[in-house]
Amino acid sequence: MNPSTRPSRRALLGAAALLPVGAALAACSSSGSDAPAIGGSGGSDGGGGSNVGSDYDEIIAGGPVADDATVSGSEWAQGIKEAGKLKRGGTTTGQIFSLKDPSTGKVTGFDAGITQLLAQYILGKDSTEKIDYLDTTVETRETMLQNGTVDVVVATYSITAPRMEKVNFAGPYYSSGAAIQVRSDDDSITSVDDLKGKKITTESASTGYDAIMKHVPDAQDSDIQQFAENDQCIAALKQKRVDAYVLDQSILLSNAVADDSLKVVGEPFTKDPYGIGLSKDHEDSLDFVNGFLQKIYDDGTWAKLWKATIGQVVEGDTPAPPTIGDTAATE
Amino acid sequence: MSASATRVLFDEPGPRGRRRILLLSLLSALAILGVIAVGLYQFGVNGQLAADRWAPFLRPDYIAFLGQGAKGTFLATAVAAVFAFPLALLLALGRLSPFLPLRWVTTAWIEVFRSIPMLLVVYFFLLALPGPPFNVTFPVFWMLVIPMILVSSATTAEVFRAGIRAVDRGQSEAAASIGLTHAQSLRYVVIPQAIRLVLPSLILALVSLLKDSTLGFVVSYNELQYQGKSLVAYTHFLIQTYLIVAFIYVALNFVLTQFAHWLDRRMQRRAASTTGSLVD
Amino acid sequence: MDAITDNIPALLHGIGTTCLLTILGYAFSLVFGTLLAVCRVSPIPPLRWAATVYVEIFRNMPMLSLLVLLAFGMPDAGLLLPLFWTGVLALVLSGSAFVCETVRSGINTVPIGHAEAARSIGLGFFGVLRFVVLPQAFRTMVQPLVNIFIGTVIGSSLCAAVAVPELTYQTQAINNQYAQAVLMFLFVGAVYLCLAFAGGLVGWLLERRLSPTRLLNRHTTRIGAGA
Repeated sequence: MNPSTRPSRRALLGAAALLPVGAALAACSSSGSDAPAIGGSGGSDGGGGSNVGSDYDEIIAGGPVADDATVSGSEWAQGIKEAGKLKRGGTTTGQIFSLKDPSTGKVTGFDAGITQLLAQYILGKDSTEKIDYLDTTVETRETMLQNGTVDVVVATYSITAPRMEKVNFAGPYYSSGAAIQVRSDDDSITSVDDLKGKKITTESASTGYDAIMKHVPDAQDSDIQQFAENDQCIAALKQKRVDAYVLDQSILLSNAVADDSLKVVGEPFTKDPYGIGLSKDHEDSLDFVNGFLQKIYDDGTWAKLWKATIGQVVEGDTPAPPTIGDTAATE
Repeated sequence: MSASATRVLFDEPGPRGRRRILLLSLLSALAILGVIAVGLYQFGVNGQLAADRWAPFLRPDYIAFLGQGAKGTFLATAVAAVFAFPLALLLALGRLSPFLPLRWVTTAWIEVFRSIPMLLVVYFFLLALPGPPFNVTFPVFWMLVIPMILVSSATTAEVFRAGIRAVDRGQSEAAASIGLTHAQSLRYVVIPQAIRLVLPSLILALVSLLKDSTLGFVVSYNELQYQGKSLVAYTHFLIQTYLIVAFIYVALNFVLTQFAHWLDRRMQRRAASTTGSLVD
Repeated sequence: MDAITDNIPALLHGIGTTCLLTILGYAFSLVFGTLLAVCRVSPIPPLRWAATVYVEIFRNMPMLSLLVLLAFGMPDAGLLLPLFWTGVLALVLSGSAFVCETVRSGINTVPIGHAEAARSIGLGFFGVLRFVVLPQAFRTMVQPLVNIFIGTVIGSSLCAAVAVPELTYQTQAINNQYAQAVLMFLFVGAVYLCLAFAGGLVGWLLERRLSPTRLLNRHTTRIGAGA
């Protein structure tokens, strides 16, 4: 898209107000390898976009709403309803899962969708704007849940035994795995065993780090370079500081879609069940959120959301949602 | 630097000296331009100069997005300064006070907070908040600004202390001789003069506050660096975005430092027309 | 406690890297910053301008921006430095800008007459600076230089953002595996405090050695206080 002919932000907002939101978003969101919404370049590298399907907003709008009795039955949900806001801990700079569009301020992605569906479930239709997106880091997630800074954490948050001692996990709502990204012209790495002795990058404090330490033969701390941002990891890989990038498969796939010089090799070599983090102060919240998840599993919203987000880059059929309470530790 | 000041350090060059200076000027200019050109050329070869990687930053929505960040940066800096500077003055007075325990406490405060990386203070503050049953929480704005205040109060206290000590001893002696108490002499004689002396340094303290606000990205406060991070995640234009963000920081701070220099020069001209200085 | 005791090698490695970053960054800053200051007061205009532009850019740029730009921008400008040296370079670029300003204002404190006297006995530009102005200026520069040292210590912690395995980076890595973040940050904070203290101590000793007038002042103060 030519930058000079793009509508201004105000015009876009105006359009969003007039049209059904889904249609407005369709005009500025990209899917797959189409021209990105932003940046004006669909070239071999660079160029961005939120990578969500055009029906994303419809899917969210079509999600369930809890009846009054269900909400008032949970002190936690009732509290959120009275506050009129859902405070979510997570990130707004995560590919595929939760990414903010700088033009519109909208956050989209799989985790964002789950959050918006939950907000709507508690607060009623047209509640997707009533969310405070607060960033949490690995260090702060548990603390911010415990001291009530956030109501939920939806942030590719792996369910692990040590974390379960501090917070509750609803779900899992998705089961993912770490994969390997390499430069397109590199054929020397095809599986996790080939990573032995190689320099590897991953995002700081991500599940990628544990995956490397557990599965790469003789993995050394000094061979791992952790950067705070996905794009920094990509740059390190392209500039040959490292030979491979290990992270959640769907994020790596979206990188490969945006940039021809990158590819993903092999299948995921871990299994990470992602859960919704909740404070232990509100035991009732666990049942409530699990009830919500079961509802979106049963009515097909979960599958549609998967298709519109992760399904944009992961090939194959929509998987079956994970079984709630199946928190078998990661491999 | 003015030409007259330079001349203090070296003789007025003769014809041969002038030729040599001209030659060296040309050589050094060529060397500097050469390095820049090679870097730019490489940048171009690697596709980082492509117009479509820069043009988006002229779009109004992008400018507005970064503008929001600049606003957040300003707000955090201003609010932190409003709290940190008075606190710093109190700390400086405490460190100079004759009352020993007070001196210890303030000295410890100053030494700790000016020696610990602010990144750690931010994390510490995030994690040290009391959890259940007290559940103390702050908006993200304060999660950034309170550490900024803590750190800046310590470094700025040293600025104030130097300022107070730089006030001529004769001033406080004169104040004592007309019967002012120690506190009165500080309040009416020493501190007003000290504040005027350190005004340029205070503006430089503002510059470091502004730079410290970049750590807002840790707590996800919408300042410039964080907005840059969001933009990078969306566009994948890593280098372009951070170059522009860095340029904005440099421009903002440049205005502040120039203002500080202007103040400094004005005060020096007024105060010391007799002593002068080698370079400005 | 086990977060610390289990990871002593990693932490020591981190402390070592932090020290190395700081020492190399600071040493090069001193040398390069002094050279810059000489450029800034030199008779050659392009050098003066370049040094001025350099100082204005690097003392006004946040360390974090600088690090990210160097780590990911320089390889595309044709220079792929190891991350450790990228960190050192960032510390030097920023540190030397401050050293330059400190040296320049140090030069300012030397009375004009001294430079004039030096010139009158036949010393050239470098001679005036080397034998007369800089040695005198150095005395007033000790405190600001200590502050720059502390700034270098603090700045080295930001190298964690570009995966230099220094103390903060190692701590974050350990925090991923242990839920003892508060303890870790206390420990790390204490280490940084010690480093800054060591720098302050050296500065204090230097200042004492270098300034006879200061000693004199202290004596007179004591006499004054006793009276």
